Amino acid sequence: MRLHCIALIATGVLTTLPASAADVETIARSCNNCHGTGGVSVGHSMPSIAGLSESYLKNIMMQWKSGERASANMTRLIKGYTDEEIAGLARHFSQQKWTPAVQQVSADVLKKGKAVTDACETCHGATGGQPDDADTPMLAGQWAKYMELELMKYRDENFKMTHKKMIKNARKLEAGDVEIAAQYYGAQSK
Amino acid sequence: MNPIHRRDFIKLFAAATSSAALSLPTLARAGSAKARVVVIGGGYAGATAAKYVKLLDPSIDVTLIEPNKTYTSCPLSNEVVAGHRKIETLQVGYDGLRKRGVNVVHDLVTGVDRDKKVVATKGGKKLQYDALVMSPGIDFTYQGIEGYNESMINDIPHAWKAGEQTLLLQKQLMAMKDGGVFVIVVPKGPFRCPPGPYERASLVANYFQHHGMKKSKVIIMDANDSHSKKGLFNQAWAKLYGWEKEGLNTNGMIEWVKGAEGGNVTKLDAKSKTVSSDFVDVKADVLNIIPTHKAGRIAAASDLVGTGGNNFEKGWCKVEPMTMASALDPSIYVVGDACVAGEMPLYGNPNAAFDMPKSAHIGMAQAKVAAGAIVAKVNGLPVPDPIYANTCYSIVGDDYGFSVAHLYRVVNGTFKYIPEGSGVSPMTMPDKSPVPPIYRKLEAEYADGWLRNVLADAFA
Repeated sequence: MRLHCIALIATGVLTTLPASAADVETIARSCNNCHGTGGVSVGHSMPSIAGLSESYLKNIMMQWKSGERASANMTRLIKGYTDEEIAGLARHFSQQKWTPAVQQVSADVLKKGKAVTDACETCHGATGGQPDDADTPMLAGQWAKYMELELMKYRDENFKMTHKKMIKNARKLEAGDVEIAAQYYGAQSK
Repeated sequence: MNPIHRRDFIKLFAAATSSAALSLPTLARAGSAKARVVVIGGGYAGATAAKYVKLLDPSIDVTLIEPNKTYTSCPLSNEVVAGHRKIETLQVGYDGLRKRGVNVVHDLVTGVDRDKKVVATKGGKKLQYDALVMSPGIDFTYQGIEGYNESMINDIPHAWKAGEQTLLLQKQLMAMKDGGVFVIVVPKGPFRCPPGPYERASLVANYFQHHGMKKSKVIIMDANDSHSKKGLFNQAWAKLYGWEKEGLNTNGMIEWVKGAEGGNVTKLDAKSKTVSSDFVDVKADVLNIIPTHKAGRIAAASDLVGTGGNNFEKGWCKVEPMTMASALDPSIYVVGDACVAGEMPLYGNPNAAFDMPKSAHIGMAQAKVAAGAIVAKVNGLPVPDPIYANTCYSIVGDDYGFSVAHLYRVVNGTFKYIPEGSGVSPMTMPDKSPVPPIYRKLEAEYADGWLRNVLADAFA
């Protein structure tokens, strides 16, 4: 605590901090219930959010809030938060360290996974760990189960998703390859 | 995670620089001021309070007192009853908290001396506190049903505190024969896990389906006239279990009898497992009586519960909305099922009826608010603005789940329910078309992820 305080003074950040910084940390603690302490999930169907990019986190929350993008539950929760709080949460979680979940898969899944994720590489990078831009989420070491469910959402025409290119590519995958693609990226825990 | 809030540091720093007597070393000393926090009860809320006080200010001594060495989660324990989940997946110990520096004592609290601020235990310990977190959960009154008492719970399990009771009910279900009747008796609210009895009915019916017991029935005898997520349950029951309408002697696998129409059980013949209301007698093969609730014993013994008034006042602990401190003692914070909170007449909102549900999730939210308030107080900082969020999943069949969310803030010192951030899973899509199955599947999957994360966020 002392170190933290001194660091703030030494770097001169103190005066430029947004006034709502403290409140954001209080709100962020309520996200931990589902997304893990500090945003690092241990639940296979729930994404880790610590260390995802600020722009990605803010966009997705704002899309849920406006109704532009569907979610089974976040669309309800997020409407209770102000735009400013959402921006603060995005900043807060983006500043935490990305902590990949260690998930082991067979050599066969790795080989097949590499082959079926060609189209993903363009935006998410070679192992899903070097996204092209700040709007593209990190995949390397994200929970495979969660990514499988996300792909299921992109592939279901009854589920309203936003990214045209992603929708197109997700639907190009063979049904049997969805799980493999998700497991492949889950296992890239760098 | 940053210990202590930045904004508060700004304020503290501003105060410090305005006075020549205060300097950086003084500030550091203020931050490391020792305080003793004792937590009674190691359920979701108590464990969370202990962990988050330590996270926010490691220099505070935290002791958690809990009689049991293993905790068994009540959330998702209906899946164990129906054989979908092993009970071990719901169980956790206290080593995670120990690693974080919490002093965990397996002992039973026998008394709290509020004047001297001392907690006494059965093992002879006397623990001094600056702040006490009271998180004893619920106890049962076993009252209101003639012929029913606590000695019967091995034969007539409640399975409303998870563990041995859960397995007893599971065993009875698995011994049932086709054509048997499983009766769930629901007490007048408030009770923990408001959708729990209806989730249990759903999963028992699901068990019947999977085991070719098409002639078996689940009958819910409910002292209340409505229940949590009623529309969603009825819709799911119609889709999955042949539900037609409310009342007895319907064609579906599940029958729900409301209080006003004979659901309010007042009598038991234990020998024949027959429960009676003023209108009907219902004979069970498996009988599951959920007894009437009250705040955990030690809360009442410490004079922290209401002694009169309605169901929400009598037997429960009223709290200060900003901090979760007891309305009767500013040094004791009551979190979890033992407290009563939310936007309701008790808190000066005459027309509101949004009590916080007694759920693990909101108990943890309350615990985090209490932890933040305690750490602020110990360090002489302003109390942070609280936020209370709840999520509660119900599993009602294969790949079929739904949820309810609640959000509360504090406005002008009183609880405010935020409808924009609350609500149940959709019954229909906005254009009135049916909800695509993917929604129900996703929520069934999320329930498991939620469980693992709440267990870790509280205990690891």
